[in-house]
Amino acid sequence: MYRQKYLFLLPGLLVLVAIILFPLLFTIRVSFSSWDVYNPGLNWIGGENYGRLWEDARYWQALGRLTLLSVTTVLIQYVLGFALALMVWRDLAARRLFRVLFLIPMMTTPVVMSVLWRTIFHESLGPLNPILESLGIGAAPWLSSAGWAFAAVVMVEVWQWTPFMFLLLLAGLLSLPNEPYLAAKIDGAGPVRTFFSVTFPMLGAISVGAILIRLIEASKIMETVYVLTSGGPGTSTETSSYYIYIRGMRDFQIGYSAALSLTYLIIMIVALTVIAKLLVRALVKDAA
Amino acid sequence: MAEIRLAKLAHSYGNGTNALKPLDMTWRDGGTYALLGPSGCGKSTMLNIISGLLKPSEGRVLFDGQDVTDKDTGARNIAQVFQVPVIYRSMTVGENLAFPLVCRRVPTPRIKARVEAIAERLGLSRHLNSRAVALTADQKQLISLGRGLVREDVSAVLLDEPLTVIDPQMKFELRKILKDINREFRLTMVLVTHDQNEALTFADTVVVMNHGEVIQAGTPQELFERPATTHVGTFIGSPAMNFLPAVREGDRVLVPGAGLSRTAPADLPTTDLTLAFRPEHAVAGGPLAGTVTRIWFEGADQVLALSVGDASLRIRAVAGAETVGAIVRFDVPQDCLRLYHQGRLVA
Repeated sequence: MYRQKYLFLLPGLLVLVAIILFPLLFTIRVSFSSWDVYNPGLNWIGGENYGRLWEDARYWQALGRLTLLSVTTVLIQYVLGFALALMVWRDLAARRLFRVLFLIPMMTTPVVMSVLWRTIFHESLGPLNPILESLGIGAAPWLSSAGWAFAAVVMVEVWQWTPFMFLLLLAGLLSLPNEPYLAAKIDGAGPVRTFFSVTFPMLGAISVGAILIRLIEASKIMETVYVLTSGGPGTSTETSSYYIYIRGMRDFQIGYSAALSLTYLIIMIVALTVIAKLLVRALVKDAA
Repeated sequence: MAEIRLAKLAHSYGNGTNALKPLDMTWRDGGTYALLGPSGCGKSTMLNIISGLLKPSEGRVLFDGQDVTDKDTGARNIAQVFQVPVIYRSMTVGENLAFPLVCRRVPTPRIKARVEAIAERLGLSRHLNSRAVALTADQKQLISLGRGLVREDVSAVLLDEPLTVIDPQMKFELRKILKDINREFRLTMVLVTHDQNEALTFADTVVVMNHGEVIQAGTPQELFERPATTHVGTFIGSPAMNFLPAVREGDRVLVPGAGLSRTAPADLPTTDLTLAFRPEHAVAGGPLAGTVTRIWFEGADQVLALSVGDASLRIRAVAGAETVGAIVRFDVPQDCLRLYHQGRLVA
């Protein structure tokens, strides 16, 4: 009965196979080959690529750096986004203005924005260092020193993606019922206690959602690093996706980069699942 | 515990309409009061002014003679229970009950003792360590109430339609607990409701409101016997009071064609008159007669809709006595006939 229903599912299924399933399966197969620019083709070399990957310190360093970068940026974005949302939550007139204002960074194309920031950070031509100097803080080697370059990437990421956090948390705040706030007032709670006892717990689920979405996005960071620092100086801002890009698209070690991609995919799936569970346990305390 | 006085209190929201027209009222310490009226009549506005969530446009609020109009909600020591059970969702039942005391920096041993005592009284003892979200709606309402009672010096408990979301069988139980608590703690309690049954069974004094105005305040008995306006007569009692257009002829007021009449006060105008009586006050047998057009079953009683001349009215009679289409003879004692001019009680 109703066997034709599968016919209607077919177009979607085909698209799914074409853009997700086939590339994934093909990548798995490629990762067991030594396909590179000299010997293109699907030969079989067993787990050689994975053995090499295991000993590739640069890959693991990039992964560690990515972890640090994602956690730092997402944490800062969350705190800033929450603060901004709380600021414009109650006042309707200001809310309309700020909502648009805050969203501009998010709507800008990452590459364009990174080029802009590269100009701003430029040590001799950019406007940032002269401003810092005039304030008496002193110039910084923004893109030529390891620590400063990492900070620059963090800053750009925070600048671009805080609006996203802001938007989600503001939507969450606007959906909160008013009665708990009245009750807290009657019970004698001040603003700080009200925040920690009422607002924050009620936004737990939304916080977990927002943080996870941003963590997933942040772990794919590519454009900012590519345009701003190209992973440098040295490899000090090189993240996993950028390293995989270098091996695959610059060195044309297709087989090896396929192995890197797959490992990266599995680590991400496992890590994000664990993080999601931990976050739910830590933040969502009001589920019935 | 406090006597609450509302002095020349009035409130209007930004759009200029009067949510609350000027009124004076005193609620004695330890009394139970019900604000009764349809949605939008100003009863919640009045409650929020008392609790301090809303600042009145005019007038003062006094607790035990002390002006608290400009005082913050927290400083007024009011307990308020809302229509929806409000609990702090991330906390346990015990933490919820302790919250107002923690906010007031009461020493921990004292908090513990108070929470245990109140939980015991409200039957929440075995849930103290459970998460508050896991409880039923009526238990959550008890937590809301408990957060008020846990403070020893609470001035009054304000209840904003607290039984609306409670299951019918639990409503009765919760109302009983509220009454018991009132007696035991000698707390002033103010209940806002649109359910006359709730108001009449809960409060010593019922304040009927409409369009931001207090129409009548009195005991349930007074409201039932002598409604100040036709609105109160319709709102209080089930079935509603019978209101029949009447005319003045000499020294009597009568309903044309129905045979219903009473003596007219000396200075009574001749137009806009209404004679009224409660369906419960009609007695079987007598000079009046009507045809039964409809019957409602109400256990031991039945309510009969009668067509009397051009008028239609309702009377309460013993169940099973009549059938549709039958002629019923009845009478209304003179002392039960009320006279209204322009909707207001005259005699």
